[in-house]
Amino acid sequence: MAASAADVRSILSLPNPSTPGPSQTKPKVPGTTERSRKPEGISRELYSLIGPSAPTLAAQLAKPRLKQKPNLGGGGRVKWEWQSFKNNGRTDSLHLSHWTKAGTDPEAEYTFAKYNVQPTSYVYSQDEYNRFLEDKEWTKEETDYLFELVREYDQRFYVVGDRYDFPGGPPRSLEDLKDRYYSVCRKLVRNRPWAGDESSKMQLISSFQFDKEREVTRKKYVASLEQRTPQQIAEEDALYIELKRLEQTERRFKKERDELLKTLLGVESGLPDISVEDEPPVNGNGLHIDTTTPVTGNTRKTKKRGVNDVDTPTSAGPSSANVISLGQPVQKKAQSAKSAQYDAQHCIHRTDANQTTSNKAAHTPVYFRSYKLPMLKNPTGPRIIQVLSELGISHSRLVMPTRENCARVDGLVEATMSLIDTKKCVDKVEQDIQVATMRLEMANNTGGEGGEGGAGTPSAMDVDEDAEGVEDDDGRAHSVISSRSTKSMRGRKQSQRRSMSISSVDTSATGSMPKRRKR
Amino acid sequence: MVNYGGDEVSALVLDIGTSTTRAGYAGDDTPKAIIPTCYGFKKDPSAEEDVSMSEAGQENDASPKKDKIITYVGNNGPTIWHDGMEIAHPVRDGLIEDFSPIPALIGHAFRDIMRCEPKEHPIFVTEPAWNTAANRERMAEIMFEEFEVPAFYIANTGVLNAFAAGKGSALVIDIGHDTASVTPVIDGFVLRKGLVHSALPQLVRAHAHHHLTSQNSARPGIQLLPHQLIASKMPVEPAVPPNFTLRSDRESGTTETFRKWYEDREVEEWIQGVAGVLDQGWNEQFAAQRGARHYEFPTGYNYYFGAERYLVGEQYFSHSPQLVASNPNLPKTIPNLITQSLSACDPDLRQVLMGNVVLTGGGSLFAGLSERLSNELARNFAHVKIHAPGNPTERRYGGWLGGSILASLGTFHQLWISREEWQEHGKKIVAQRCK
Repeated sequence: MAASAADVRSILSLPNPSTPGPSQTKPKVPGTTERSRKPEGISRELYSLIGPSAPTLAAQLAKPRLKQKPNLGGGGRVKWEWQSFKNNGRTDSLHLSHWTKAGTDPEAEYTFAKYNVQPTSYVYSQDEYNRFLEDKEWTKEETDYLFELVREYDQRFYVVGDRYDFPGGPPRSLEDLKDRYYSVCRKLVRNRPWAGDESSKMQLISSFQFDKEREVTRKKYVASLEQRTPQQIAEEDALYIELKRLEQTERRFKKERDELLKTLLGVESGLPDISVEDEPPVNGNGLHIDTTTPVTGNTRKTKKRGVNDVDTPTSAGPSSANVISLGQPVQKKAQSAKSAQYDAQHCIHRTDANQTTSNKAAHTPVYFRSYKLPMLKNPTGPRIIQVLSELGISHSRLVMPTRENCARVDGLVEATMSLIDTKKCVDKVEQDIQVATMRLEMANNTGGEGGEGGAGTPSAMDVDEDAEGVEDDDGRAHSVISSRSTKSMRGRKQSQRRSMSISSVDTSATGSMPKRRKR
Repeated sequence: MVNYGGDEVSALVLDIGTSTTRAGYAGDDTPKAIIPTCYGFKKDPSAEEDVSMSEAGQENDASPKKDKIITYVGNNGPTIWHDGMEIAHPVRDGLIEDFSPIPALIGHAFRDIMRCEPKEHPIFVTEPAWNTAANRERMAEIMFEEFEVPAFYIANTGVLNAFAAGKGSALVIDIGHDTASVTPVIDGFVLRKGLVHSALPQLVRAHAHHHLTSQNSARPGIQLLPHQLIASKMPVEPAVPPNFTLRSDRESGTTETFRKWYEDREVEEWIQGVAGVLDQGWNEQFAAQRGARHYEFPTGYNYYFGAERYLVGEQYFSHSPQLVASNPNLPKTIPNLITQSLSACDPDLRQVLMGNVVLTGGGSLFAGLSERLSNELARNFAHVKIHAPGNPTERRYGGWLGGSILASLGTFHQLWISREEWQEHGKKIVAQRCK
């Protein structure tokens, strides 16, 4: 299907060219319609002379067009008429009249009748009453009276309680009435056949739930609030303001500490870059108390406080110490099963934040897990490192410091430590054995005169041993593995192979130690 | 239209108060007819003579009585002196006590002032919250039987005042001409247990009357003579004895009730014009600092009233100990009334009510009253918000205004007691419908 140039133009919404293209088929317009389209403001004679090719001139001659008037309310004149109407909310035939737009159907339903909604009210039969609703406190007549009142006042219980006056009945409190009404409703719903599903029934029953005891207690509490003396109220206000003040001081203290921490540690502090301004407390109480100006009418107290309340670090110190215990209640929040599952799924391990309850460590910055590996500082530390490195394990750098790996490293270090201890014992015992055998040999060699002479040599051995002990105390770690193997350590595999000879190492071979330490 | 819920059926609203009777169309913001509720009457000396000696609209005759009695109602009724005319109040303690002049009053307001025929309009009537069942039934009877209205409804002023303030729940403090009342309203219903009222304004007026007429160190006792009895007077300097001549021809024809009514009215005017209340409790020095206010009596006597004008307002808030000692059943002061009313309400509601206090009634226009009240309440309650319309019309005709609003609501029209229902059910329909 070939598209003509006119089609293209219409698609691109271009104006028609003055000279029609060859492919354009010009429709033949009848002369009558042409003439009828004569623009306004130009005489017929002129138009017949100049033809339709002078639109600009015609536009100038045309009457100026004003902005169209806004059309408000359907336009034109609205006819109103005084019409009588029937209100469907009424049971009688009263016809009141009002002004309506002409043409409104007089039989149409009254617009306000739809607001006449009746709340559902419960009625019960005598049989139902006998079976379910018996109550020794209430007669059927009084219950009927109550239900009638509740229906009449659309369950406005305050009004029902006000108007309730059953002749001959005991005085009833509002809670009595509510309790009776809701309990009857609950029983009715429970015992009647229910068309819908169980959940909607339970929902309905729960909507009739009424805890009389609780309500009475609450009312008593509300009433007791009103019994407070002005002094008590003032005291409460003062305490409240004091609490706010403490919270504010705490926030300020925290902020200052965070700033200090940031200044000292920079990024490593783990604090967000944006300094947190004094936020209003989370409980939504927008009361902002300026610590320097007294707020309450209790001028005596605030004045006294105002003197103390100079913004000095000395005053902030002790109060903030109080604050932290106030502001950060120890949260013994039991982890719900769900969150535990979630954590397990997302490999989240929660550290117990409560282990640091001191003031200083209130904030724990983010850290790498590998940083938390035990630093080997104590005297055995270097030795452990030595052993590990002889085994070809780098203690300081874990390729994948996951929790399990870290725990393993911990275990490894401990195992190494006990290994070293064991080794020490073994060495000592071996030494003793050696000495003992040497003495035995000497004794055998010297024969009869051996008693005194034998005493001299062992003393030399003792000295030697002491020297070794001193060296040990100096922190010079003995190579557990033989010095030869240390020197010739070239590769991990080699060392691993040699590590098999640990049990047979000689502790006394310490020749290369200083050199190794320096490395 | 539907947005505002209004649908006017050209109902008439009638509010009969102690001082004035207000009538107008529902949907208006001011009553069209405001006439005094009190009326003048006298026995007709010549029963046969046609009673057309005064202008039309001023007098109606209540014919059912044996003696021919001429009654004078309306704005030109009791205020115009007639020989031997007695003045009577149909309303006492807020309740209509004497129904005989009521049809004349209503007829005058509707037919002579508003120029409308009650037969063609539903009529909405107000009542005080402590109205009796017999009273409202009588009112319904008058409307249906004598005025043949198509529909009728009666609502109490407490609720209507709350509606006029735009509130469904409120504690309405209504200080009228004779009665001060405190009405707790919840969801458009009066809590009857919390409803209290006292004749406090009467006491205030009596006190002011006594104060004016008795002599004190600064000035002599003031004669409260009605201007109808004064033929001429000369201007005098303040605090100088007046120079006037009495109309001796009227002396004999002036009844005691007329004098009493006039004196009461004069005192009322003096109070409204001059008296005030200090906003922080009585303090002689503050009262003296406020400056004196000038007032001229009909006799021509005029005076600058200083601190004494503030003594009057104190009566609304506290009674002097010697007064309490001498009179055990004094009408309760406004703070007492509020406390009593609140203590009868549910503890849950007290906070709601105190947050929606509506101060209304012509007596509350007393200078400084709303400020003082809010100070007094703030001392005892935590969150008090007082709604006191600044517009005097709204304050004085609050009950009427609420009626005007209610009777022009589209949803209200199902509540009307129709003529048909009245004929079918009789008087008991009133109590059933108007709760």
